[in-house]
Amino acid sequence: MSEGKVLDIAHISFLDMIKVMITMSGAAAAKGTLIRNAISTAEKISEVDYPSFDEFLAAIENSTNPITQVEGKATHQGEFVFGLENCPFAPSIGNYTEVFEKLPDGYADFTEEFNKPSKVTDTFRVGEGAGVSPFCSVHQPMRSAIAERIKIGGKKIKVYQLGCKAGSGKKGFAEKWLVETGITQDVVDKVLDNHMCCYYVKVVD
Amino acid sequence: MSGKEQLKKVLIVDDEEDILWSLQNNLCNESLQVDISAASSGEEALEILSNSEKIDLVITDIKMPGISGLDLLIEIKNRYPYTSVIVMTAFPSNEYKKEAILKGSLHFLEKPFDINDLREMVTLAIKEDNMFRGTVAGVGLTDVIQIKALSGVNSALRVKDGDRQGIIYFENGQVVHAICDDLEGEEAFYQIMEFTGGLLDSINVTNMPEHTIAAPVEALLIEGMRRSDEKSGSGDGGENSGNEDSIVEVEEDNAKKEDDMADLKEVLTEFTNIPGVNTACLVGRDGFLLDSIAISGIDTEMIGAIASSGFGASESMGTQLGKGALSMSMIEYNDGPVMLSPIGTDAFLVVVAEKDANLGMIRLKIKKHTSEIVDSAAI
Repeated sequence: MSEGKVLDIAHISFLDMIKVMITMSGAAAAKGTLIRNAISTAEKISEVDYPSFDEFLAAIENSTNPITQVEGKATHQGEFVFGLENCPFAPSIGNYTEVFEKLPDGYADFTEEFNKPSKVTDTFRVGEGAGVSPFCSVHQPMRSAIAERIKIGGKKIKVYQLGCKAGSGKKGFAEKWLVETGITQDVVDKVLDNHMCCYYVKVVD
Repeated sequence: MSGKEQLKKVLIVDDEEDILWSLQNNLCNESLQVDISAASSGEEALEILSNSEKIDLVITDIKMPGISGLDLLIEIKNRYPYTSVIVMTAFPSNEYKKEAILKGSLHFLEKPFDINDLREMVTLAIKEDNMFRGTVAGVGLTDVIQIKALSGVNSALRVKDGDRQGIIYFENGQVVHAICDDLEGEEAFYQIMEFTGGLLDSINVTNMPEHTIAAPVEALLIEGMRRSDEKSGSGDGGENSGNEDSIVEVEEDNAKKEDDMADLKEVLTEFTNIPGVNTACLVGRDGFLLDSIAISGIDTEMIGAIASSGFGASESMGTQLGKGALSMSMIEYNDGPVMLSPIGTDAFLVVVAEKDANLGMIRLKIKKHTSEIVDSAAI
């Protein structure tokens, strides 16, 4: 006997809860809550100091790097630009849309809210056009917040979100962070051809 | 205590014997019982005043030989400040009226008059005498004006600052007229607002003057405070230079941001300077703190996060109810209120107050400073 489609209730509830949060207190407050939650999760990660950038890269390759442990394996594209092959929320989205066909209403407004310039997106160098779904507001700040717990040779690192790709294939680019890092949109566009997410790592002197 | 002892004492002063006699005999009726005495000159009136127990009300003619009614009025206000005065005149003129008002009487009667009008005026003037009088330290002119506005009264407020004085008239709580020095209308109101201290005296008005002010009380107060700020040098200190050419260097941008944030702190201080207000936070709609001034022990980051949900919920409720945009939200706790007010489209202000804080003042400051905060915080 076939088991049919089995829901992961945690996934379903989370996705529906975002919709409830938007309805109850608006997209801005919901965005803030999700970001604070992501930061809170990142703060649970142990701090780590890699002796060199190569050691940092090796940890990404073998999935022992804190960022990789949370979002999956990324690959270095050169010039400190990284591509993440799979969106960590893809299983949740897949599970939801398999049963309900489409994501809850209001997600587009939420994504627009995340991309608006704000203090928190400035602090974590995310959004600004790089958000393609509400999940980016969890994922991107979480990665940046985890990066604050990583050092290379005793120096802090900063992550800049350069671009992201939705399940539909639509790409989003953060012009502000492209300008600040000096990476061109063409480079990011190419990375996103084969990846879902593109970010830049800067070692702070 | 006998009934006679409880009667209010009224002194009528007029050099025309017929009028004096007529008023003495006709003023009292079933609804108005007062103890009347009479004087045919200002000199005699002063003698009676000095030899009697407190006279509650003096009704005097203006034009009299010897001490005129206006001079008598001045003497009464100097020596017996709690004695009310009704001025009668057969020569009504605005100049007379204005002079008498500034000398302390807000009650006029033009001869000839209906005795019932005089009775009504006497009743009001005596009622005025029954009100509280005194000084309440720490209560400002703005507070009193707001209280009068909120209570919807018909009355006048006499404001004295040293040798200067002005009067603000309220009709149904709206400011309708003001006089100060040679000024009338709004300019007089703003002049009074610039008084730095002094005495306030609330008076019932029987003859409401011609309206010279149409602006709402809040608008008058905001403009008055703005002018006072400018005079005291705590204003903006000049217009923003607006020198955006094309591309601003990042360092200049950062320097500007720092300046703006310093301005923002100054504006937030405007709130924490209100007695009873201890914390003012500017919070992004997403709940992340943009700036704050707070007493120790308050986790402003956490307050911002929580307040954003409350603010968002209040907005959502308004949307659901079709009530339009949220203009202000107040949450009252046992130990005082918290006020939330939108600032631009992307932020809101949280003002934490003690129980006895002046909410009207907080509201006014919010209205006054909203655009400044938007500019300073670049939101």
